[in-house]
Amino acid sequence: MNRLPFLFIIIIIELSGCNPGNTSNKSVKYQQYFVEGEQLYTTHCSNCHQKSGKGLGLLYPPLDQSDYMDQHLSEVICLIKNGKSGELIVNGKSYNQPMPGIPTLTDLEIAEIATFIYNSWTHEQGIIDVKEVTKILKECDESSQR
Amino acid sequence: MRRLVLFIAVVGLISSCTKTEKPLPIFGQREVVNGDTVYHKIAKFQFVDQDSAIVTNDTFKDQIYVADFFFTTCRTICPIMKTQMLRVYEATANMPDVKLLSHTIDPKYDTVALLHEFAKRLGVSSDRWHFVTGAQDSIYKIAQTSYFATAMEDKSEPDGFIHSGAFLLIDKDQRIRGKYDGTKEDDVNRLLEDINRLRKVHE
Repeated sequence: MNRLPFLFIIIIIELSGCNPGNTSNKSVKYQQYFVEGEQLYTTHCSNCHQKSGKGLGLLYPPLDQSDYMDQHLSEVICLIKNGKSGELIVNGKSYNQPMPGIPTLTDLEIAEIATFIYNSWTHEQGIIDVKEVTKILKECDESSQR
Repeated sequence: MRRLVLFIAVVGLISSCTKTEKPLPIFGQREVVNGDTVYHKIAKFQFVDQDSAIVTNDTFKDQIYVADFFFTTCRTICPIMKTQMLRVYEATANMPDVKLLSHTIDPKYDTVALLHEFAKRLGVSSDRWHFVTGAQDSIYKIAQTSYFATAMEDKSEPDGFIHSGAFLLIDKDQRIRGKYDGTKEDDVNRLLEDINRLRKVHE
């Protein structure tokens, strides 16, 4: 008999544990993004940036801990698609190896890669939705056309 | 008495097993000239490294070296090869008789200055790891005929070249003693073991 309130409390905790609202749906979407993103990362990014995200020397910057990533989400989204050349400072160190873009990636694939890298190693950004990515990509396209 | 015989037999067997470690193979064709076996050797070469120093066969006189072919703008297998070659560089840090030789297969783009920058950014020292450039024909020829590694231009490839990711282990007599996939960690572990074996033989 005494156990009943205890059980009740546990159920309450469990329910509140998985966030209010339509979140179970969200977390499935996050999982899909993350898993797809991991595969795309392995194919397109890990040769240089390594599976561990640690990069290589001063040639390829690290992603596992990166103040550049923390501060420049939009630029990161844009450079995955369009590439980047010139000097880039990451964690106070200068990198200057051109990164080729991958223009064939879809907005969704870029969102998946971004979700993977922004939720791996030391990062816990949560999902980066394709809608957000599409918006960001439109802006970097415009600025590059100017 | 029987036991003693058995004991000796077993000891003999064990010691014979440990003694007869198979020597590393010698790659390529061999000929017998005047009763002596002549093995395939790396042909004469002359390239320029990241410090504008001339690098020839003599640079590796009485040295073991590991050779590979790459280019700095390659985004497919080369970064993995360089990661693995960096492991070899670090593992052989205390072996003054072991050197590394990376040839660019894109000498038009990979100039001495660019290779210098590349090596510097990789954080490696030029007296142990030479990054060389030279005439494109000579590089492709030595890759194919001396090192048995593929290297050629191919516009249909994403980066414009096809080349193998092989690491070649060359002994003090300029003979190939091992070929390894420079993109596979396990195979590079095998290379590290073979370097130790080869050094023991040379001692």
